[in-house]
Amino acid sequence: MPPGYHGCYLRIDVSTGRTERVPLSEALLRGYIGGSGLGTRLLLDEAGAAVDPLAPEAPLIFAFSPLVGTPLTTSAKFAVVSRSPLTERINDSLAGSGFALAGKHCGCDAIVIVGRADALSVLVIDDGEIQLRSGDGLQGASCPKTEDTLRAALGADYRIASIGPAGERLVRYATISHDRRHAGRGGSGAVLGSKNIKAIAVRGTQRCDWAHPEALVELSRELSQRSFGPATAKYRELGTAANLLTLNRFGALPTRNFQSGTFDQAASLSPAELGVRHPRVRASCTACTIGCEHLYELDKAGVRVEYESLFALGSLCGIGEGSTVLRASQRCDEVGIDTISAGGTIAFAMECVDRGLVDEKWLTFGSGDAVLKAIELIGRREGIGDLLAEGSRRVAMAVGQGSMAFAPQVKGLEIPGYEPRALQTMALGFAVGSRGADHNRSGAYEVDLSDRVDRRHATLESVQHAIETEDRAALMDSLILCKFLRGVFSDFYDEAAEMLRQVTGWDVTAGELHDTARRIVAAKREFNVAAGWTPDEDTLPERFLDAALPNDAAAVLTHERLQQLVAEYHRQRTNS
Amino acid sequence: MHVEFLGIPRERAGVAEVEIEAGTFGQLLGTLVSRFPELRELVTERGLHSSIAANLNGDEFVSDPNRILAANDRVILLSADAGG
Repeated sequence: MPPGYHGCYLRIDVSTGRTERVPLSEALLRGYIGGSGLGTRLLLDEAGAAVDPLAPEAPLIFAFSPLVGTPLTTSAKFAVVSRSPLTERINDSLAGSGFALAGKHCGCDAIVIVGRADALSVLVIDDGEIQLRSGDGLQGASCPKTEDTLRAALGADYRIASIGPAGERLVRYATISHDRRHAGRGGSGAVLGSKNIKAIAVRGTQRCDWAHPEALVELSRELSQRSFGPATAKYRELGTAANLLTLNRFGALPTRNFQSGTFDQAASLSPAELGVRHPRVRASCTACTIGCEHLYELDKAGVRVEYESLFALGSLCGIGEGSTVLRASQRCDEVGIDTISAGGTIAFAMECVDRGLVDEKWLTFGSGDAVLKAIELIGRREGIGDLLAEGSRRVAMAVGQGSMAFAPQVKGLEIPGYEPRALQTMALGFAVGSRGADHNRSGAYEVDLSDRVDRRHATLESVQHAIETEDRAALMDSLILCKFLRGVFSDFYDEAAEMLRQVTGWDVTAGELHDTARRIVAAKREFNVAAGWTPDEDTLPERFLDAALPNDAAAVLTHERLQQLVAEYHRQRTNS
Repeated sequence: MHVEFLGIPRERAGVAEVEIEAGTFGQLLGTLVSRFPELRELVTERGLHSSIAANLNGDEFVSDPNRILAANDRVILLSADAGG
């Protein structure tokens, strides 16, 4: 087995407690590397596309990578892969920090969980030895409370991944939380909840060798040095919250359920304004030199806020009051729900109320109390919250009356904070994304905000750009490296190959990694086809097609143009 | 012309906007660096660091130092990686 790997995964059936150590071939590892790629391959091999994502037999996979445990900055990350209960398509979500290290130190490259425990339980993996413990006392506990309680009970050297009350109640966009961060999108928390597993606790001592340790340490030192430079300054100094004013300036800030691309209260949600009333401190994941996290003080606690939470719980719901958005983000983190899907679903419901399609008069744009109340109801699945817990697509199916046209989702996944009409390469990325509308699997917004394309008039040339960002994301998510590093590389594929050579000893090249990235994207599509994907899923809601974005007459994406772009995307993918 | 700063350029310049006279994009960058030395790591007369982008009038992104600018143009300097 090559250095950097253990050469096996743990397969745990929580119905029976049976555990297997399943070998992984070198060919499979080299073909899919780790993280999202390895997780997707294992999910396909487990026939995960054929089962209901919340059924006991549905696999939930935690995948590590050869770079986990190395000194390479931002490499302490893990992927969670399953069929999504929100989209019923592939879902790979990532999170960072010590769980990746401790999980890999259990002597495995991935953990595959199937089955359903009889009662709420905690899965403890101690150096590869498995134990199912009672989850008594943790029912309904928030993500941070669960993690703190378990570390106090088991020992501070355990690393915990947990769900909040939303995961227990199978909210379809529930998260898996670790160290106050989240594998956020697509509802992996509901999958874990469906198995009656409140948390997974891991610790271990089994480390992997590296093929060329001295060269790897030198490479890592040099990469860390570059990570302190201007390419990461925005993340370090301002955090992703800085994007809000930029996107607002370009009419690309989704506002009031995508009814506008500008928000008149955007300035009040900027890092500078938030910081006036809520002092800010920085934090970082384990083994990260960037330190992108900015925690804003709220009632003596630090609230981690990213752009996506600010937009989804702020402008998208018409909320310009910083304290309210911080509180809403904090409650989403505690309850354990994805802020983008929560904000998207709430904003959609607000527009339904506006149009007289839903009789919940309190649920109005601009009401901070309404957003906070809706989050609580979703977490408890009470009242209208039980429907909102299903996500905007299922809400639209229940409401009917043409509401699907303005449900802000693709394949059921709520659209992140990039107005598709104003950023049309991103629009294509959203339409074809294997896990639905997603900015982490297609980084095409950065193409739109460059001189490579006309952001409001996508052409067939845009397709290649969208494919390139999708391929790069697939590789970064499989190595795994944080995407905030991407600006420090002069040639990412070359440098990634060098990292893998030093860790594994493989004679891997940049060209091979291009092929690997395409193979991983293709594997996700293969999964979706097996799960029932049809070509008409690769589109955008009607709202975004044919009509101009209000206040920007040039921002028009016709249905015909999007169809041409999608067709060209599939043509190029088929031929590559 | 009017220059707006967003993201890291605003952090470095210390202001949100400024009026500058310049005939080309390269001249504009040179003047900006003279006026705001803290921009030097990101901006030279020859162009922009890859982490910074420049936009003209909210429409077109520009990078050619020889690009002719009009007196009534609005130039926006922003962090290029405007994603989360």
